[in-house]
Amino acid sequence: MADDSKPAASILPSAGLGRRSVLAAGGAAAALPLIGNRARAAGEPIVLGWVGPLSPPGGYAEGTNMRYAAEIALEEINAQGGILGRPVQIVFADTRGMPAEGRTAAERLVQQNKVAAVFGEFHSPVALAEMEVFHKYGTPFMACDVWSDQITAKGYPEVFRNAPAVSLIDVTIGQWIAAAGFKNVAIIAEKNDVGLSARTLVQQELAKAGIKFDAVDADPNLTDFTAQILRFKSNATPYDFFLAIYAEAGAYPMIHQAHDLGFAPTATCGAYLSGGEAVDPTFWENVGDAGTFLVTENVGLPKSAWNDKTKAFVASYKAKHNNADPSGAVMESYDGAWLLFDAIGTAGNTESKAIIEALEKTQYVGARGQYSFSTSHEPAWHYHQFLDAPLTILQYAEAKQSQANAPIVWPKEYATVPYVYKKPGT
Amino acid sequence: MTDYILIQALNGLVIGIIYAVIAAGLTVIFSILRIVNFAHGEVYMMGGYFAYFAISLLGIPPMAGVVFAMAASFALSVLIERTLLTPLYSPTTERKGDYGILVTFGISIFLRNIALIVFGPYPLRPPSFLTGALILGPLIMTWDRVFDAGAAIAMLVFLLWFMHRTAWGEALNAVSQSRESAAIVGINDQLFYMLAFGLGGALAGGAGALVGPIYSLSPSMGLIPDTQAFAIVILGGMGSVMGSILAGLMIGVSESMFVALFPDPSRSLTYAQAFSLLVLMVVLLVRPTGFFGRIHTALD
Repeated sequence: MADDSKPAASILPSAGLGRRSVLAAGGAAAALPLIGNRARAAGEPIVLGWVGPLSPPGGYAEGTNMRYAAEIALEEINAQGGILGRPVQIVFADTRGMPAEGRTAAERLVQQNKVAAVFGEFHSPVALAEMEVFHKYGTPFMACDVWSDQITAKGYPEVFRNAPAVSLIDVTIGQWIAAAGFKNVAIIAEKNDVGLSARTLVQQELAKAGIKFDAVDADPNLTDFTAQILRFKSNATPYDFFLAIYAEAGAYPMIHQAHDLGFAPTATCGAYLSGGEAVDPTFWENVGDAGTFLVTENVGLPKSAWNDKTKAFVASYKAKHNNADPSGAVMESYDGAWLLFDAIGTAGNTESKAIIEALEKTQYVGARGQYSFSTSHEPAWHYHQFLDAPLTILQYAEAKQSQANAPIVWPKEYATVPYVYKKPGT
Repeated sequence: MTDYILIQALNGLVIGIIYAVIAAGLTVIFSILRIVNFAHGEVYMMGGYFAYFAISLLGIPPMAGVVFAMAASFALSVLIERTLLTPLYSPTTERKGDYGILVTFGISIFLRNIALIVFGPYPLRPPSFLTGALILGPLIMTWDRVFDAGAAIAMLVFLLWFMHRTAWGEALNAVSQSRESAAIVGINDQLFYMLAFGLGGALAGGAGALVGPIYSLSPSMGLIPDTQAFAIVILGGMGSVMGSILAGLMIGVSESMFVALFPDPSRSLTYAQAFSLLVLMVVLLVRPTGFFGRIHTALD
């Protein structure tokens, strides 16, 4: 919320200390005795909020990684002198992956912590609950790793998203399945807003391409899928592809159960895990050989397109966190912080409207490329969506392969291998 | 079709046996201490981590890791019982059932968050007990699951032997029937409360260690088995170990068969757990005390 509207004595450390800003700073100094409280606020930190799951039952593993990324951004901005000459603070709010807790956390950030803007989140249903609070108070919100179309389709001016939406991701997945030549697809989708809308979008693409499919919805807390996989395996018309749309703790057991039962990935049935778990640092420890030949998406920039910020962030993250590769979600959190730092710097104050206006005009280059947010409402989910969000489909070629080094098979412009899909054993 | 039903039934039996071990531990605690232990799922989770770290840090073999996990879970449970549950035995404590629920619920949250801080938020998978799969014609079952089933049966047989064929088991049974009468014949009831809570915890921890290689470990892994175990304890009859075993098998097989045979395959997985609760409701309509429940058994 607005706590300050003083002129931009300095914007970002990268901005030079020009004559105009020196004059502005001088003017502000001269006005000190007159403006009382406003002057004392000059040294106060700019407070931002971060929301996401840091404890069960939410996706706390990836939430923790996203927090680490935000902490790196925070260290960097403060090492560079803060924003507008003021230090920056981030208040981290654990939503536990629960909409009710997300709503409470959002209220607390706005009402008690007086945050200028908020970023983060990993679960779409939680983001949808939090958005209502931010919309009520007019607080800018940069939604990071949340994919539901509804988040931007609601048309709230405060809400931006730097992650791809399901309409971007799952249409691409459907197109890739068609391009890879699969004919009969078995789908397990997580039974929540994102899982169900993702499944629907993939199904539409498969239907367009004349591909047969059967879909099963599963509770997000399940860890045993053996009975269902056995049912798939005994289908009268054998499936040649298994698509799991699942982001919770059950994703790993599902993949190794499918492998252990000889269902997928095999020479006759490919496998895809959508939801981000397959690019997490603990993926290989949990799935072992079952991950070889698995296909998944990455919402970070492909290594071939990394810019200096990507390289610096990856190096910094790996140095701090056991040499683990940051996932796309982690980069979204890092860039989410920097987008807000940049917007506040550009706005010259922490007024909500000014931050929103700055975000609408941003051309900021972050670890995931150059950002810009659509202001079109056609279709509805385009509003404040980063439409050029990076998205690539990769297929692991060997066990324990880093996601950054895995062959990219789709889209063609980013592909690092000549094939669209590599069958196990070939 | 016969092969398919057989495979699904076997799969359900394996899951059911694991359920039975968790539920039997809950039953032992309930029948002696007369409290519903809401921290049981978290002791199950801790057992998984005890085995993981014993294997990875101490270098002990995975099978020995299960024994280590049971011993460590026993010790953890005894510590919890001695430090936080002794007010249950005091005549001055009012509403002991409520106290037990509140304390164990608090312990469950505490353990889950401690696990998050100490073990980290990332799923961990201990090494397999036995690699590869048993393949008999159309039947495929990983050796991990075969081992789990065998080890779980061994745990249940040991429990039944201990409860019915040893003096300590007889004493536990006496305390479960009447604390006062047991005290009159010289049984130190405090010792047996501690033993019962420790034994229940050891079973939960052993189950957690067994499922590690097939489900992976995470601080929240106890949430669903805990709920299932409560349903199984009620279905089997509050306080009956044999009832818990039979109910565990029944729930495991019925869930698996539901997924296998429900006419609408798109909803079978989603409704499987609801189906097990439907089974519970139907049984309770016919037998309100569950399969082997004693009518007098209730919370103090």
